[in-house]
Amino acid sequence: MNIEKIKEFITTIPVNKVCARDLMAFEKTPRNNILAVVIFSFLAMLVVGVAIYLGQGHHAYNVTREHPWGLLIAVYIFFVVSSTGLCIVGSLGDVFGFKDYELISKRAIFGSIVTILAGFTVIAFEIGHPITMMIYNIASPGLTSAIWWMGTLYGLYLTFMVIEFIFLLKHDMKMARYFGLTGLLVGLAAHSNLGSVFGFLNARPISNGVFYPTYFILTAFITGIFIAFILMGFRYKLDFSEKVKTMLTGLAKIQALLISILIFFVTWKMLTDIYGGMPNRAEVAIHILGSWTFWAEVILAMVIPLYLILKDMGKSHVILFWASMSGMVGIFFMRYNLVHDTQLKPLQMLKTREYQVAPEWIHYFPSSTEIMISLGGLGLCMAMYYVGTKVFNLDEDTKEVK
Amino acid sequence: MARYGMALDYKNCINCKACEVACKEENGVLLGADKHRIWVGVKEIEGEYPLLDIVSSTFMPSQCQHCDDAPCEMVCPTHATYYDDNNVVRVDVDKCILCSYCMNACPYDARYVDDRTMTVDKCTFCSDTRLERGEVTTACQNTCPTKVRTFGDLDDPDSEISELLRTREHFSLKANLGTKPKLFYLT
Ligand code: SF4
Ligand code: SF4
Repeated sequence: MNIEKIKEFITTIPVNKVCARDLMAFEKTPRNNILAVVIFSFLAMLVVGVAIYLGQGHHAYNVTREHPWGLLIAVYIFFVVSSTGLCIVGSLGDVFGFKDYELISKRAIFGSIVTILAGFTVIAFEIGHPITMMIYNIASPGLTSAIWWMGTLYGLYLTFMVIEFIFLLKHDMKMARYFGLTGLLVGLAAHSNLGSVFGFLNARPISNGVFYPTYFILTAFITGIFIAFILMGFRYKLDFSEKVKTMLTGLAKIQALLISILIFFVTWKMLTDIYGGMPNRAEVAIHILGSWTFWAEVILAMVIPLYLILKDMGKSHVILFWASMSGMVGIFFMRYNLVHDTQLKPLQMLKTREYQVAPEWIHYFPSSTEIMISLGGLGLCMAMYYVGTKVFNLDEDTKEVK
Repeated sequence: MARYGMALDYKNCINCKACEVACKEENGVLLGADKHRIWVGVKEIEGEYPLLDIVSSTFMPSQCQHCDDAPCEMVCPTHATYYDDNNVVRVDVDKCILCSYCMNACPYDARYVDDRTMTVDKCTFCSDTRLERGEVTTACQNTCPTKVRTFGDLDDPDSEISELLRTREHFSLKANLGTKPKLFYLT
């Protein structure tokens, strides 16, 4: 009886039947062709990158004893931040009932699912033993570990997001709201736990403390809004209807506030890091201020988007689409910096002359395999999203709410 | 059931690195600069010739501190890092997923990746080699020509290490972090 009901529930999920030919049947404009080539080359890189990894293991990566976390960790964070951000943006309409934002809910929730799947894919090739992880995560849970909480909560979050998405497809807004709210809360918990993975590192004064767990939530929201602009830009080919424009202007105004808060946060983080010259913290902060990746983050993710929004209070939607592209590149640097800067300072322990002169700063540059798998993750994310736009109706439903 | 620790009379160290070699040999640690469980740190002489500050130069043997409050154990998501019956911090290779969190969380840079098992490895106080064979010394201690190292049970008031810690002044590394190391540097 129950099985019957579940079967019926699943078979009544509204999907479009598509075959491979439908997927290739996109309008052959130069823009679409370029996008298709980009997605295919990124997917090819994923295959090559994973093949090299399977052959050589972690030797294919430039991670070392002193810098055990590399690009793939940064890219994983990039994807899960995007997911949490899209979940927040999607919730504005269907959980909190802001009517203006309902038209992006389904698209954003679907985006949050594909981004986290891409994140899980990338991390599977960074964790040395992903299968062992699944077994012992349950068989011997390390409850004092921020990674345990983060991973477990993200797994739950994905489940809730999928269920919410199904209810959205079925236009059952009540159930979608319940699962959306639960998913949002679990997602926020997971995400701040990811921040605490860094915040709990007593050994690394530059990252230790309350900053990252809170900052992760703020930057997630910012990332979500950037991606919302990009998704809507592609959906409407930069030719927005009045309704979409109202929503985008609303989002842009929220974004201006959030970026201002972020600038305020980062300024004070830097000042407190440097003030008083505390060893292992002040000199690291000064070093970060001298790195171009930090300024890439500030200019691309903060200065450019904020300036363009404030110029006419978020009314130039096309320009803001491009500003969001810049923002996402900046957000990538933000994630990379977070991971790299945490490990900048050698823990030394007087190993100054052991086998080699210890570096004053730990150097790291990703290997080609790491870069290929990372771009592959992006390709996978875009491909899954594209298939989703064909299989599901991601636009706002116009029929009456059940 | 013991609580093993080690006292280091580090001023006697002559930087011969016999302990590093003995450790690799006894415990089958892989060759390569990055693959080491123990090391001898060299603090260079300060000052410009001819005004050299000779006493500023020290040799400091070090390794995993077997912290009583170990950050590596706290952050491990699968309990792969655990305290064994002798309070030695160990890694269970079957459970380690190589998330590398412990490598980032250890304030002492005591952990590295063993390429054979692709899991994290570190000093075990020779628990699975010499101690298992019934010996009472570690390889590094046994080989040291100037007898820098004293290994023993901190809970046994009659042990040599307890006696040393009662009678000699000592300090531990990065004590401010509250990790409660069980490696003690005698002054
Ligand atoms: S020194 Fe490092 S590896 Fe050893 S117990 Fe302490 S935190 Fe763990
Ligand atoms: S690398 Fe292994 S021992 Fe270290 S925290 Fe991860 S699972 Fe635990």
